[in-house]
Order: sequence, then structure tokens, then C-alpha cells
Amino acid sequence: MKSLVTEEEISNVAKLMKIDLEDHTAHIKRVQKMLEYFDILDNANVESEEITVQETDLDKLRDDKHNPYDKNLLKFLKSYQGKYVKAPKLN
Amino acid sequence: MDLGISALNYVSSIKNGEFTVEEFTSKSLERISQVDEKLHAFLRVNDLAIKNAREIDTKIKSNQNVGKCYGMPISVKDNMCIEGSKTTCASKVLENFIAPYTSTVISKLNSEDAIIIGKTNMDEFAMGLSTEYSAYGPSRNPWNIDYVPGGSSGGSGVSVSANECIASLGSDTGGSIRNPASFCSVVGLKPTYGLVSRYGLVSYANSIEQIGPMTKTVEDSAFLLNIISGIDSNDNTTIDNKNQDYLRDIDIGVSGKKIGIVTEMTNSEGLSAEVANATNDAVKTFEKLGANCEHVSLQMVPYTVAAYYTITSTEAGSNLARYDNIRYGYEFDSSGFEFNSYISQARSKFGPEVIRRMILGGFVPSAGHAGKYFLKALKVKSKLIAEINHVFEKFDFLISPTVPIQPFKFGEKIQDPVSFMMIDFNTVTANLTGIPAISVPYKITNGLPIGIQIMANHLEEHSLLQTAYALEKTVDLPEVPV
Repeated sequence: MKSLVTEEEISNVAKLMKIDLEDHTAHIKRVQKMLEYFDILDNANVESEEITVQETDLDKLRDDKHNPYDKNLLKFLKSYQGKYVKAPKLN
Repeated sequence: MDLGISALNYVSSIKNGEFTVEEFTSKSLERISQVDEKLHAFLRVNDLAIKNAREIDTKIKSNQNVGKCYGMPISVKDNMCIEGSKTTCASKVLENFIAPYTSTVISKLNSEDAIIIGKTNMDEFAMGLSTEYSAYGPSRNPWNIDYVPGGSSGGSGVSVSANECIASLGSDTGGSIRNPASFCSVVGLKPTYGLVSRYGLVSYANSIEQIGPMTKTVEDSAFLLNIISGIDSNDNTTIDNKNQDYLRDIDIGVSGKKIGIVTEMTNSEGLSAEVANATNDAVKTFEKLGANCEHVSLQMVPYTVAAYYTITSTEAGSNLARYDNIRYGYEFDSSGFEFNSYISQARSKFGPEVIRRMILGGFVPSAGHAGKYFLKALKVKSKLIAEINHVFEKFDFLISPTVPIQPFKFGEKIQDPVSFMMIDFNTVTANLTGIPAISVPYKITNGLPIGIQIMANHLEEHSLLQTAYALEKTVDLPEVPV
């Protein structure tokens, strides 16, 4: 079945991703074209396929212990006060 | 002094006292200043390179232990962190980002006395295959500067091809090492997923991307893989390779090996006649060398590009969410902004392809659409893995063109997103399945390079490099014209 992704749907997703589409039409048309191409997945006949997942053995994980980090990472932030990060206000 | 020498020959020459590290580094920097204005392989050059070279010369003269690289100049794609220096991912968003720590691969190179000569250009956040999406302007192909060098590790490919350095590290999410290797006529290896640590690599699609070498010869790729591979406690996806020596018996040959010619990659709609001819030649060469070649079908291949872009966009949407100008980003005051509009404003610095991938990455896994796109893509990936596992029960290697076409002119492909994506057709299979794959320079046709891709089963880099070496030894290519 051909994709029926509308401009409005794409605009809504962009908003959720906090992206302001200045060049609205050009971006939306290209995204639509890409999604239309993704319709080819409908022909792959994989409905009954199991999704295999990458597993990591628990013994491969790092020990669950605190590793002190001696560098002052806060100085890499643009805006902070004391030990607090400054962020814009939430309405 | 020949700046085009291989890494192994460089080490011999230094050991024999033919030149010093400082002399070679100076010549390399001179070469960069001569050609890089035209080629734009580098985003930044290391100001301390000469100082580093002198320090290594001192170690050599005073008979101290010297690392395996003996001061060879190596460039690094600008998505790998070096503490205290800029890592931009060729994005305006990270224009002033100073990395607070060093990636494992760079630490390993430093501990073997390599000189990181500079950071190379790329498509923004590694999203692209021509460097046309770099926020700092594209790199140019040294074989013909009107043509793209491939990407996303295009700057790395150019820097090696144009003899601005001995070798480079790139990263490969869907072909980003192999594509520019093919377009620039250098060797490019994407290792098995997990063989090389990704600690300190800026994430794009972390479930499939890998760091790998881009070099002048297959032996040099084996040499660098010896250094950068192995387990890393900072990356729990890494694999213990028991310090395998990838250079050992590299000249053993391919006699009796079974090579599958991937039907879908050698008969595809977009395959150019020149690339098809070169691939047929390479198959005949392998047969002459004693390998048995026959066609094999991977039925999921026609769906891999769609699956790849679905999965990588989803991961990119998540990975790039951190660029909010609070934790990462460029400076502008938050006062007067509401939270969401502030972040939207910050993200306006993303380039067009990154914006599109983020929108796609929000769309394809979303409620109501995940079943049609994301879950189906994961199922294609699972079925492809099963097919790959099955064919490697019969074959030792798979062969295909690295890229279905030769390098193209700037602006020629970028307007049509679908035909642009299809350039990844032959390379994404190795990423989706995690297997190693290498691009070997094979031919120069109409003045532009063609590379051949060889793939092997998981962790079979040793035999893969032996096979690539056998093919490489049959070709005699002209020198790069720049």
C-alpha cells in the first residue's frame, strides 16, 4: 500500500522533535519522497519474521561502582551557576 | 622523500635513518598547505605536529622504546574526540565544542607514537555520502576536483589519496569508509561490529557504526587494525580479539577459497557498465588466483537501503536529541525564551540533511507508523542476518562493487533523495549484519577510481585482509594526479 503521509503529519513530527521548518516545503517534499521509497519494505514479506536483538552478557558490563572523574565538566557548559545548569524556563 | 609511501615502508625508512620524523612531518604539512586549499580534506591541522615529531625523534635517537607508528602522520575524521581540541562533526552546532576526553582509538594511536596530523572533513554528523553536506563546504576528489570524493569520511579518503598523510581513521555507518575509499582509490576497512571501540566517537547510529582504517595498502589496514582493535572497558560492545596479528601470513593467497558473487549487487538497476566490467574482471582475477567464484543470492538486499535509513534515522533522532544548546551547542542566551522555542532556535544550526533525518527519526518509530516502518526494518535486518549466516556456511567471502557507480559531479545526485540513497545499495548489508567488509582500489576508468568490495563472516578480518591483499597485488594503478 502506498504511503499516505501528509505534510501536516510531517510538520507535527518536526514540532515534536523541536525543529522549526523554515524551508518548510523543500524539507517536507524530500521527507515525503524518502518515506514513499520506504514503502518498499511492504514487499519484503517479513511479517512473520522474529526480530533478533543484540544481547550483551551481564558479565561483560562494567562493574556497578562509582568511578571518580577528576575533570570539571561543568566548565564545558555554556551557562551554569555554581553546580547548577541554567536552562530556559518551562511555561 | 616520497610522501606516497605506505605505512610499513615509512616505518622501515625511519628505522633505517633515511629521514627523521620531523622531516617527514614537515613535508606532509607542506603538502597540506600546497594542496588542501583546493581539496579541503582537513577541517583543522594539528599545530603541535612538529613538536610531537621532535619528541619522537628524540626517543629514537636516545634508543628509548618507540611505538609501532614511529611518528607517522595520521589524519582522523572530525567525529572522534581528542581531549582539549575541537570536534565539530562538520556541524555548526558543534563549531566550538572542545572534547573533554580522548577516544580510545586516538589513545591507542598516541600510545604507539602516531602523530595526529589533523581532523578531516565529513558530511555533517556523518549523514551523507559525498561531503556535500559538510557545514564547512565539501572536500574534492584528488582524481578530478570537479567530482565528489565520496563520504561521509570523504576528507579522510582525500587526505590519504592525495598523500597529505600516511593513513586515516574513518567511521562507517552505511559505507562511510568504503564509499570514499572506492571514490578516492584507497583501501577502506569496516571491521566487524565490536572489534574496534567506539568510545569517543560521536554517535549517529550506534547499533551499526564502526571506526576503521583508510590506507594506501591492504597491509597498512592490517597494521592499523592491529593497533586499534580489541576489547575496551569503556565500550561494552567490544570484542576480545586475543591480540590477533592481522599482518601474519597476509600473502597466503586465495587458492581453494569460495567466493560468492552477490547477484543483487552485481545486477542492480543503478549499476554502471564501467563498474560492472571492473567487477567481472576482479572475479576473473580471483579465479586465476585459484579461488572458486559463483553467484549467490541475498534476497533481502533490495530492501536494505530502506531498512538502513529507517533504523539509522531512528537512532539519529535519539542521539541528536542531546544537541539542545544546554549540554552541547553554541552560545546564545536563554533569557526570554520558552524551553521548546529555545531548543528549536538552537537546532536551526543543523544542516538540511540532519534536519530531515531527525524528522524521519521522529516519524518512522512513532505510534501508528512503527509497524509499517521501524519494526519492518528490524525484521528485514533479522532476515538478512539469517541469510548472511546461511551463505557463509558455503562461502568464505562475498564480492561486489563497493559502489554501483563511479564518483559523480558536485550537485549531480544530491537533488533526488532516493537516487542519492541508492548509492549505499552495496555497502549497507555489512553494517546491518555487523560483518567486516573492505574496499580495494581496482581500476581507474575515464580518470576516476573503481573499488571492489569483499565481505567476510564475523571476525574473519584476518582472512579478509589476506584475500584483499591477493587482489591488490594483481593491480597496478596510476599515481594520483594532484
